[in-house]
Amino acid sequence: MKVDQLLESRHANWQKLEDLSASMARRPEPQRVLEFAALYRAACADLALADAYQLPPDTIQYLHQLVGRAHNQLYRSRTFQSRLWMHELLVVLPQRLFSDGYLRLALVIFWGVFLLAGGLAYSNPDFAAHLVPNEYRVKLEEDFSRELGSRPADESGFMAGFYIFHNGGIGLRCFAFGILLGIGGLFSTVFNASFLGAVFGHMATTPQADNFFHFVTAHGPFELTAVVLSAAAGMRLGFSLIQTGGRSRMAALREAGRESVPTMGAALVLFLLAAMIEAFLSPSPAPYWIKAVVALLSSAMLIFYYFGLGAPRRISRPL
Amino acid sequence: MVAHLDDAILIVTPENIGFQYRVAGPFLRLPAYALDLLIRLGVVLVALLVVRLAFGAAGLAGLGWGLVAILVFGLSWFYGGVFEAFWNGQTPGKRIVGIRVLTVDGRPINAMQAVLRNLLRAIDCQPGPFYLVGLVSASANARFQRLGDLACGTMVVVEQRRAWFGLVRSRDPAVLKAAEQLPAGVEVSRTLGRTLAAYVQRCETLSPARRQEIAHHLAQPLRARLGVPATIRDDLLLRALYHRAFIAQGQDERALRQGSPFKPAASPPVGVLAGPTGDVA
Repeated sequence: MKVDQLLESRHANWQKLEDLSASMARRPEPQRVLEFAALYRAACADLALADAYQLPPDTIQYLHQLVGRAHNQLYRSRTFQSRLWMHELLVVLPQRLFSDGYLRLALVIFWGVFLLAGGLAYSNPDFAAHLVPNEYRVKLEEDFSRELGSRPADESGFMAGFYIFHNGGIGLRCFAFGILLGIGGLFSTVFNASFLGAVFGHMATTPQADNFFHFVTAHGPFELTAVVLSAAAGMRLGFSLIQTGGRSRMAALREAGRESVPTMGAALVLFLLAAMIEAFLSPSPAPYWIKAVVALLSSAMLIFYYFGLGAPRRISRPL
Repeated sequence: MVAHLDDAILIVTPENIGFQYRVAGPFLRLPAYALDLLIRLGVVLVALLVVRLAFGAAGLAGLGWGLVAILVFGLSWFYGGVFEAFWNGQTPGKRIVGIRVLTVDGRPINAMQAVLRNLLRAIDCQPGPFYLVGLVSASANARFQRLGDLACGTMVVVEQRRAWFGLVRSRDPAVLKAAEQLPAGVEVSRTLGRTLAAYVQRCETLSPARRQEIAHHLAQPLRARLGVPATIRDDLLLRALYHRAFIAQGQDERALRQGSPFKPAASPPVGVLAGPTGDVA
């Protein structure tokens, strides 16, 4: 058979496949899906035999893109499945975190540097001056010289959004920078810890210390844990390039990527909760014991998540 | 064929068919990113207007600004991830430009990959907005993957629609006549067929002198092999052979009945003509 006849007999089918692939993005009727699949297989066969059919190069390239586009419509991306994500967050993730060396490393580094910087800033005013810009310190002292609760109520909504934007951004950046051989993550962890430590140490020496600690108590556990989780997720990414576990570096990186995303998801949930507490409860004139109870409850939740859900046991995957 | 170009990636489908993708380089990905940036900016501007007018009037300006902050956070970190998860690897910008994110083995990406590769944009775009980290990483591998792509095993491919090109149907009586004059039983090998098609599809855009120059190299050995007289020019010979190979129906039979106007080729029966590369099918 001449190519001309062949093309004539196939062209209508290819055209139909092209039209169908364009309309597959919207939910198609079952009948059309069947038709689409049949046309797709036929086009695949045509492409496979293109050389034997002696199709001209232009037609072969047309077939390549036609099959490519149809293939993408047939094998579509799996979208979010909330059940799988809940399973990942509540069952798989705590198990992984419990045995995650990078989380321990991030915890030790963060709290070590935090306490060290705090102690140094408390005992030596020069230290805080080196780490925390002067304007920032003045601004902080000014902010906390006002009574808690004197802020207009409308501002809380803005601050909630701002805290999500600002702290979430810090956490995600800390995670992303981790991919630079882990050094980026180490750097941002040390930076965040020393900065926060210096602020805490410095504020403890000022007359506004009471107000300050009154403010930070309630949201502290969630927020600081979220920072540590982000750092741990970043380190997992970065160090996978070095500690490959016998795989190729790229394979190790891909697996670390898969494992670090849920950690980052948990960190974001914590950032979200912390932002809500920080915006609505922390600056309120509520008595200190309420804030202390919130801090204790959130710490208890974190401990339960880590030890309670994380303690090694057999888990079954959902279907 | 694009097979030997270095931006082509071969994918083997479950139907056991290999097809090719072109990997998208920076000059496609940058416009897509710029378009997405514009869309994001537009959305934020609209949100600012709404807050200014509606929330301000309702006395909830603070809450409104907070929502804008959350919107900016969501757009800057999750715009790409959410779109690519729900739109099968495309953001609006990518859809307009005609590129798509796939896994390196050609399957669609899942939500986790979509989110991760967009979170890691924060490191790829360093320093500042210049994307140097991403560019260096992408230049260092064959699939043009930035760090975000490497970490989740994805690549960005070109998915442009190509217009349908049929065969070139010559109405030139000289071509039809020359085609009839070709010896019976001429068979064209695959490589020769490809070469002929490539020539004929392009020769419309060439000047006669240039056509002659290009056609000469192939026409000369063919002329010797087929015994075509010099009255048929080189360009005409190739177009006539193309017509015979791809279009003309029943001509071979007719030619066989009538007998060829030329003396038959040296070795009977006329075998498969080899292309200039010399391979015989």
